[in-house]
Formats: sequence, C-alpha cells, structure tokens
Amino acid sequence: MKRIGVDVGGTFTDLIFVDEEKGSVAVYKTPSTPKDPSIGVMNGVRQLCAQTGSSLETIDNLFHGTTIATNLVLQHAGVKTGMVTTEGFRDIIHIGRHKRPLNFSITQDIPWQTHPVVKRRHRLTVRERLIPPTGEVLHPIDEAEVRAAVRQLREDGVESIAVCFLFSFLNPAHEQVVKRVIQEEYPEAYVSLSSEVLPQFREYERFTTTALNAFIGPKVTHYVEQLSDSLHGSGFRGDLMLMQSAGGVASVKASVQKPVSLLMSGPAAGALGGVWCAELAGHRNVIVLDVGGTSADITVLNDRQVRMKHLLDTKIGDYSAMVPMLDVSTIGAGGGSIAYIDSGGFFRVGPNSAGADPGPACYGQGGKLPTVTDANLVLGRLNPDYFIGGRLKLEPGLSVEAIEEHLARKLDMTVEQAALGVLKIVNNNMVQAVQKESVRRGFDIRKFSLLACGGAGPLHACDLADALRMPSVIVPPNPGILAALGLMTTDLKYDFSRTELQLAKSADVRKLSRDFAELEREAAQRLVEDRVPKDRRATERAADCRYKGQGYELRVAVPGGPVNAKTVAAIAKNFHDAHEKEFGRAFLDNDVEIVNIRVNGIGRIPTLEWPKAKRGGADPSGAFKYDRKVVFESGGRVRQIATKVYERTQLKAGNVIAGPALVEQMDSTTVIPPGAEGKVDAYGNLIVTLARK
Amino acid sequence: MKKDQKVCIRGTDIPRVKIDPVTLQVLGGAFKTLAQEMGLVLYRMSYSSIIRESEDLGAGIVDPLGRQICESESTPMHTGSVPAYVRGFQRRIIEELGSTIEEGDVILHNHPYYGATHSPDVHIAVPIFHKGRLVAYSALQAHVLDIGAHTPGLCIDAIDVWAEARLYRGLKIYEKGKKNQQLWRHILDNVRTPSMNESDIEAMITAAQFGRKRFLELIDEYGLEVILSAAEEWMDYAERMLRAQIAKVPDGTYYVESWLDDDGKNWGQPLKVAVTTTISGDSVTIDLTGSATESPTAYNSPFEGCTRTAANYIVRTVFLDEASHAEYIPQNDGMTRALNLIAPEGTIFNPKFPRACFTRFPQINLMSDCVMRSLVHVMPERLCAGTSAHIHFVSYSGYIPEEQQYWVYLEVNEGSYGGRWGKDGMDAVDALNANTRNVPIEETEWHHPLRVERYELRDDFRAPGRWSGGLGVVRETRYLTDGQFTCEGDRHMEAPQGFFNGHDGKAGAIVKNPGMSDEISWPSKISGAAVKKGDVIRIVTPNAGGYYDPLDRDPQAVLDDVLDGYADLALARDAFGVVIDGVSMKVDAAATDALRKAARKSGKPSGKSSGTDGRVPAAKSGRGKVVAGAAAR
Repeated sequence: MKRIGVDVGGTFTDLIFVDEEKGSVAVYKTPSTPKDPSIGVMNGVRQLCAQTGSSLETIDNLFHGTTIATNLVLQHAGVKTGMVTTEGFRDIIHIGRHKRPLNFSITQDIPWQTHPVVKRRHRLTVRERLIPPTGEVLHPIDEAEVRAAVRQLREDGVESIAVCFLFSFLNPAHEQVVKRVIQEEYPEAYVSLSSEVLPQFREYERFTTTALNAFIGPKVTHYVEQLSDSLHGSGFRGDLMLMQSAGGVASVKASVQKPVSLLMSGPAAGALGGVWCAELAGHRNVIVLDVGGTSADITVLNDRQVRMKHLLDTKIGDYSAMVPMLDVSTIGAGGGSIAYIDSGGFFRVGPNSAGADPGPACYGQGGKLPTVTDANLVLGRLNPDYFIGGRLKLEPGLSVEAIEEHLARKLDMTVEQAALGVLKIVNNNMVQAVQKESVRRGFDIRKFSLLACGGAGPLHACDLADALRMPSVIVPPNPGILAALGLMTTDLKYDFSRTELQLAKSADVRKLSRDFAELEREAAQRLVEDRVPKDRRATERAADCRYKGQGYELRVAVPGGPVNAKTVAAIAKNFHDAHEKEFGRAFLDNDVEIVNIRVNGIGRIPTLEWPKAKRGGADPSGAFKYDRKVVFESGGRVRQIATKVYERTQLKAGNVIAGPALVEQMDSTTVIPPGAEGKVDAYGNLIVTLARK
Repeated sequence: MKKDQKVCIRGTDIPRVKIDPVTLQVLGGAFKTLAQEMGLVLYRMSYSSIIRESEDLGAGIVDPLGRQICESESTPMHTGSVPAYVRGFQRRIIEELGSTIEEGDVILHNHPYYGATHSPDVHIAVPIFHKGRLVAYSALQAHVLDIGAHTPGLCIDAIDVWAEARLYRGLKIYEKGKKNQQLWRHILDNVRTPSMNESDIEAMITAAQFGRKRFLELIDEYGLEVILSAAEEWMDYAERMLRAQIAKVPDGTYYVESWLDDDGKNWGQPLKVAVTTTISGDSVTIDLTGSATESPTAYNSPFEGCTRTAANYIVRTVFLDEASHAEYIPQNDGMTRALNLIAPEGTIFNPKFPRACFTRFPQINLMSDCVMRSLVHVMPERLCAGTSAHIHFVSYSGYIPEEQQYWVYLEVNEGSYGGRWGKDGMDAVDALNANTRNVPIEETEWHHPLRVERYELRDDFRAPGRWSGGLGVVRETRYLTDGQFTCEGDRHMEAPQGFFNGHDGKAGAIVKNPGMSDEISWPSKISGAAVKKGDVIRIVTPNAGGYYDPLDRDPQAVLDDVLDGYADLALARDAFGVVIDGVSMKVDAAATDALRKAARKSGKPSGKSSGTDGRVPAAKSGRGKVVAGAAAR
C-alpha cells in the first residue's frame, strides 16, 4: 500500500509519503495557498510523487487534514443559511445559554448575536411539538405549513437549511417530514437535520451545531469535491479520506454530510502524530507539546491514549459545536508571542503575536516589538543563518534593540536578563497550561515524558520539563511535521450516538441492547461503504453517564458482547471509577444515569513503519558543527557558556550529547541545557534526560 | 538606595519578601487556576440546576483578615463575596463565642447579618493550616434549591430573617475532621429538597478540600513567605490598575435616582433608589443616601454580603472593562480598595437586624444601572443606555407525596443591555450582577412536570437609537401538576432609560393564563402563589434603552432591523427617518435624506423619545458639584 498524508497549516502544507512494501518514507514541505488550499495540496502531491518516483495512479489512499471548516466558521464565511424550527422557539441560537462571555464588560461582543449563523429573517417556525420522555407527538406537524416555509426560504435565496425541532433526538419523524418537503421543493439546498447531525439533548448546543453544519456544508462540499476531482483528474484512483475532530479519518461522502466534525481536523492530526511518536520512542505516558508561531497545542497521552474533550467544552471560536473532539488545548504562546510591560508595570508575554507579518523584530520586516524568537536569538539559542534551513536570515541587532527599548530599560535589567525573563514567562504560561491538563487532573507528571514538536517546541522543551519536574524530553526525527505524521497513523473512525436518559438501576436492557445494535449496524454499514475489509473492521462502545441529578456527564467504556444486566453493572462501575478519578470522590449510593450511548465504527489502517537510523557510537563528533556562546541561567546565575552545536541529520543512533549543546535541523533547534544529556535512539529520536537536582 | 526594612504580611509576623517578576507571574497563574478549578469541581459535580447549569456560585482563597487572594469567575454576584462570609463566621466563632478554628473543621454558614450575600447562598469554608498556623481559608458558596423559607425555593414576603431561611451561623459540620451527624440530619430535615441539598453541600465540601490541597501544594513548593507576599503583590496590582482608570475620569459628583416597583406586599408604593457617584482623583464614592427605607418584607439587600459586592462589581465593570484590557487582571481584595460605599442603616441597601433580606437582586441591579447612568455623560463611549436592571428569579415547585419532598426548579430569566457606543445593545443575556446560564428546555421538561411553550425574543421592537437597545425575552411555562409559583422580579413599572435622544425601552410583565378566560396580570413579585395543573405563566423581561439619535442610524442597519423583525416599516419611517420600499425591500435614499432633514429641522426626533428628559431625573455632570438633590455627606 502506498499512502500520502497532507496537512494544510496556516503557513506550510506538510506532506508525507509512505510505501509499505518498500518500507520507505518521504516528507515534503510547501507553502500553503490560503485562497484555495487545494492548489498547495496538488503542488505538494505532485512534488512528492516526483521526489519518490511514484505516479499518482499507484497511490492507494490520500489522508487529508484541513482547516477549511474551522476558517469558514472563524471568518463567518459560510453560505446564506435558513432554519426551520419549532413554533415559539425561533431565537434559541440567538439567546444561547444567556451568559455573557465576559463578566465585567459593557462593550463586549456576543459573537452568536453579532454574527448569527442563521439570521433571524431566515429562521422560520412551524407548529409542531414532541415531548419527553418518549418523543410522543403533542402537536402533529402540518405539511402545508412546512411547504410554505421551505418555499419562503428558497425565495429568500438561502443555499442551505438547518432543521431543528425540540426533542427531535427522541423522535426524528417531524424533521424527516421537512427533509422530504425540501427534497420536493428545493432539491438543490444543502440540508442538515438536528436529529441526524447530533441526536442528543440540550437544544441550544444541538441547534447551533446543526446550523454550523448547514452553514459550512456547501463550501466544504465544494472544496472536498474539487480536490477529489483534481486528484482523480491527475490519475489518482484511490480514496481521499479526511481527518475528523474525533481523531479518525472519514470518507468524502461522510465528511460532506457532517462537515461540522472537521472543525478540529488539524489539531486532531497533531495529537495522533504525538501518539505515534510516543510509540516510536517506546514511551507510554507522554505530554505532546506542539509550539508554532502563534500558539501551542497541548495533548496529554495517558498510556498512549488521547482523551476526548468534554462535550460542553467543544467550541469553535465562541460557537458551541457539540461534536466529539480530541482533547487538545491551545494557548496563545509561540515564537511570535510579544513581550511587553503592561500599564500596571507587570512583565507579560503574549497572547498577542507578531505573526508572520511583520513577525519578530529579528525578521527585519518592520516588526519593532520583542518576541520569544527575539529572546531566543539574543541568548544564542537560534542560529541567525540557519532559520528554516537558512531561508530566512535573522538580525540579532534588531532583537537587542527591541528588548532593550521595550523591556530591559523599563525593568532596569540587562538585555540578557530581560530575554531570559521572556523565556521564563512564556515557558511559565505553557507550564500552567500543561499542569492544568495533567497534574490537576490527577496524572503524575513525573511519570510522563515531554514530546517536543513544532518549530519552537524543542527550543523550550527542556526548560519546561525542568520546571514541570518531568524526567525526559523526546524530540522526534521530524518535529515539524507532526500532524502529517498523525494522518499516516490514524484509523477510519465514525461516531454514532443516541440519547438514552435511563437510570442504570432500572434500565430497560432490551431497549439499550436494541439501540446499541442499531448504532453498531449503522457503523458497520458505513465501513462497508468505505470498502474496509472485514478483518479490519471493529466497533467500540461508550456511554456518557452522570449521577442522577447532575448536569455533566463523564464518558466511560462499555464492554462488548451481548447487552444485559452485567453490561449495565459494568457501566455503573466504570462511571463510579471515572468520577472518583475526575473529582476525587465517588458516590456509590447514588443512582447512575446513562445519558448517551455511543458506538465508534473503526476501520483499522496498518501502522506506519519508520526506518531505523544509522548506527554509531556514543561519540557525536561526526555531527559537530561549531561552538557558540549561549546564555544559560544555572544556580541562579546568568552565564555565557561555550556550547557545542550539532547537525541533526548527521547524528547516529547511539550518539550521546552532553549539555550544554544545541542540535540544529531545517525546521527546528533543540536546546540541551547544562547538566542534561541527549541520546539518539534506534529510530533517530533524540531523548534528553534532565539533570536531577 | 532604600534601606532594608522589615515589612510583614498584614496581620502576621511573616516577612513580606520581594518577589522577582517571573515568580510573580507564575503564582498569579497558579492562584487563578486554583480558584477556577474549585468552581469547576463544584459545578461539574453538583446536582441542582441552579449550581450546575446556572453556576450560581463563588469560590476562592481568603486570608484570615478576610482579604480575598483569588476567586473563581462564575457569576458576578459572588464577585468578592467570599471574604464577607469569612469575616462573618470568624466574628461569630472567635469573637462572640470565644471559640477557635481548628484543623479539620468544615464551617457551614449563610447568615445575612454575618456577611452572606443572602441566606440561600450557603457557604462552606475549610481552614488551611500550615505548620500549625492558620494561613487562609478555602471557601465557597452556592445557591441551594431550598433553604426552608416559608415558601418553596425563593421567598419574598417574609416577616423577618427567621421566616426567610434556616440560619447557619458559623456552624461546624465537621469538627477536627469528625462529621457532626446530628447537625447534618437537622439541616436536611428542615429543607424541602433534602436529597439535592445533601448532594450539593457534599460537592461543596469536596471542592473546598480541593482548594485547600492545592494551596498547601503551592506553599510546599514556594514557601509560605513567597506565596503570601505574591498574594499581596497581586492585590496591590489590581488596586493600581483600577485606580489608574478611575483617575482618567473627570472629578465630579453625579446623581441619579430611579424607582423599584414595590416591596412585594405594599402594592403601588414604589421604592426610590438614589445614587450619588463621586469621582475624586483615583477613588470613587457611591452614596446610596436617599434610597428607600428598609422594607417590611424580605426585599432588602444585606450590606456587607450583597450591596458591597454589587458596588464592587459595577465599579470594576465601568472602569476596567475586560474587553478593553488585554491582560488578565485578577479579582481580589485590591479591586475593592478604590471604592468608598455609603448606605445608611435602615435602608433597603443596609437593613437592620432582624429584617428579612432574601430578595435583593432587583435593588442591586438597579443601583448598578444608576451608577452607570450617573456617569454616562462623562464617559459615553464606555457605557450604555439603561439596561433591564432587573431580575426575574423564579421558583417553580410542587410537592411529591411519594418522596415526601418537593421538586423545585429555579430559573433566572434574562435581561437586556442598552445601546452602546458603536454597537447595539445585547439581547437576552443575564443583566449586570447576574451572569448565570439558562437551563436547557430539554432538561427542564425531562426532570420537572413543566412544559415550556415559548422562549423567544420579545415581540415588540428594539428601542430606537443610533445604537438600539437590546431585547428581553418572553417565556411561557405550563404546569403539568398543581404547584406553587414564586417570583422575585421588578421593573414592571419603569422602563429602561434611553440616552442622548435614544428612546426608552419597555418594562417587563408577568401574565397568568394569557389569552384564556381567566387571564390575569401579576405584579413583579409573587410569593408562593398556588398554581393549578394546566396553568400557564408568561414572563416578559424588559427591553433596554436606545443610545443616541435614531435619525443617525445607518439606513442599511434599519433595513436589517425590519428584515429581522426588530422594527417595521412604520417605525423605520417615524423613529429612524428611513424610507423603505415595502415591495422591493430597499432603502429609498433620497426620500430618507429628505425625511431626516425635515425631522432634524423640526428640532426633535420624529418618534416618541424621552431620553434624558424622561420622568426620571437625569444625570448631569458637574465638576465637583452636587446636583439634583443628592445628599451631601
């Protein structure tokens, strides 16, 4: 099998090519083309094929991570969308959860009011009503009224229609009526039913998710189909698959039906890349830190598993998108983060970023404010002639000026002290974020390694690990292409869910069994459609539970096999355990409520085989380039230390590098501080062990 | 060079040490995260929707002097409210009873004359000892469903503080680590929702213990001196940031008054809210002298726990608007230091014991609105026209014979904000001191014998202005069994005020069985009214005021208003001077120009407008001058 992974980021489109038969891997980086990302994708694919001497016809699969869905939402650039909803509830998506985003502000914006996904004029109501607990019809729907509403929306020129009825997750019949009428009256329209997109309770979240789905649906469809056409037009005969927020890939067909599940496509690929890198390095418990220009993504891998986000935390911008997402948290800390003294005299770094334009002061593109990259440069940690492989020359003098003027003078510090301060503060922001995701959720961080990725990750990783008291840092062979790697290592994955709201103690086991069976049937059918061979198909069950009366659920695993009283007991036990772990306490006497059940349909993809690095001895001098003076703080003293600089591509398995040292490669630089020791493993991972104090 | 002199942490002999700017940032982040997570543990674990969905809670670390080190950001009513509780129970336990706080104690407290925001906001505090010394409390409070008042859930018409709640005055439900089971049973035996209260209070204890553990970990890591010194630094920082902004506003005394509907018993007798705001250098004084005498009902605001908290809230909101400050400025004791608050004893803002004081939200919201209105002429670009400045806090309830307890559903109905500089007002969000979350209808109907029949923006139009006022909501709920209805509401009489030729908004309303033969309008406050199966209650919350002259509104925005149902063609013409072709639905630019010219020439806006000439005496700015009947003190 030959596969290509393509991850489109803001600056670069990263590609990776894998030939399983030959056991070869190739990577490629090309500038992104934000106006039409498929151009960059096609450029990269052609280059990569040329580079590896394989024609596009021979590629079996192309896996793609995309930010198109995210950008359409963040830039309010979807299509004109209409909604048909229950009479009396026209403004559910406008009122939201009625909470102001900020407590202390008169001038704040309410994004869902300023930029409604569906304008009020296009939200039409029809008389109908379903009621709990069974979805019984209280008021039947009137087809003539529906028809009038659909004709009105057509006349208004909406391209897409969201259908959102109260309690439709219990009974989709009324939404199905609207779907049929739309197909009769306005077959060109893109349709999203809330009972299909997200059959779960909480009307605001469900309606908004459905509306977002409709809002981005036509343009996502257009992009994906165009890319698919371009690929096939160039001879590609395999399957195009898209990375989903929940961490699997899905077919073009499934993706265009539910584009809302593409919202975290990019970060999800990064998290999976982290899982794979952890495995390659042989570590089970890893914190993945992917630091780019403006932001850092953090993912905790406990026993190599990525957690899912809590369903009420799954937002995109300020909109609720209640779809499963891998738990990747993002903070505004990166190489471009700006350091400043605020009006109260406090030293701050970020979250504002100089971005790529004008960029850090040292880019010489007009940026005057000191950034994290400037601090690294001033301290000697970056090589001005080898940034992005030398494609961008850095000017240390401009960094010194910026730090002097905006920080050092105001704080009565030397430039070096101020630059070290910048690093400490930005590192601390990352430390806080990592702790929030790990220690404060009960993971003992001393048993974790820090996986450093992104251009800036390896620069900071050792300092972070030190502050976090983590024993070691892993720098994978290609830290800059984490997401593309992730694409090569993911399975096909489809999530099907249903709201149950049953108490474990009195659960209708037959209904539960029937519902699981139905979800499993849907999952299996999808995998068959995707031509997944039988021996590679699997399903996984889960349930979202809470104590009766609580408002928030925790997700727990559900055993396979026949669904019976034992299954229910296992769900309850798993929930008590999860509650104890999450909150430090379980209430064994309280009733457990099964809120949603879920089935994941999985099509297994063969794992990626990474070629081993060339073997060498402990002595790394074959990769030695030169000495440079680098500023470190050790024992509370700021010192300039002569530091050896090595070339990453020349390192051999078995090489041992004593800190202080720098390891440079095209897309990143690893800092090994004094006292630490780096070792190259069999696959070329650089494993840095920190000095214990 | 300054000489080294030993400065101590206030109230202790622990030296205050100098902290490098980096460690200071580290600890600022750690404090913030700690408090946030206390809140998170509580609302994710808790049972009643008022805590878990609405997040009506506050949590944080408070030092033994009652100074707040950090707090969770949940709903503003709990902003800085934790310390008053701590001061209150310390006064009770240490000063009055001559007793001590011990390691392992868990303190339960809700007394409104000892710092509570009001009695249903039940407080749990866990003392934090370090090497035998009490260094802080991990403390939080949250609204419980029922507190044993004379009506289920909420309470309006109570004769005194004993009628409004079971009072917990600094009780130790754990003493030195041992739970007092008798007391615990007594507490649960005297509320209508014992299962919910039990689970919620257990969740609070877990969250408080969590905070204690985290704070001790920080002390272990950095040392007590550093932690407490950093706390002092962050308090000073917050104070500095706030004062710097106050100093930018011209000195002066600004007066506004406004009217509350009634006290929930003496119908037709409005209560005055009088607010004199004085800016002097980098300090602000809010003087409530002239406000109504305390009510004979529970319609009074506890001074320390509630009036002060609300005043702190509005001062921060006005002067340190979060949207205009990129950096995180913590809410701590420093944020309270620039404010001098005056409320004479015996008024609705500072009732005398044993007046009941359960119901206080409309008063403090209107007080906050008045503070803004008093300053709107001096800082128009940072404030807004009159807000809904109300609450409609509702208790739907009924008795469940087979469980021998009640079901209670508490609902905070949303308000609206006036038009703002460059922006229309916010629609249908919680107003001012409230910032809770609504409960999903699909949750409400699942768990309670209620059916929500309507939940939408109000039918009438946005108050015209260059920037229009936000809309309130209409919500209709049907009882599926017999039950009771209690509402703490206000502003059915006085509409939110428009400014600078912006129109006034509209008042709120409650109607029982609208459109039916027995339709009846209810006042804004209802105490435990009996409701029959099938009855429908409609709640309509106020629309906020418009800002600046509607004749200056962008005609395209007016067209959008018409298309979205926020205005109609007649209002577009009469109030905004915008002519829209009803067939093509396009703005007629020439006709609009002509109409607007004529309207401006006639010297008054074409629509109904009260603006600053309304029936409420308006704010006037005057440097150092007391105007319009403000009490000079």
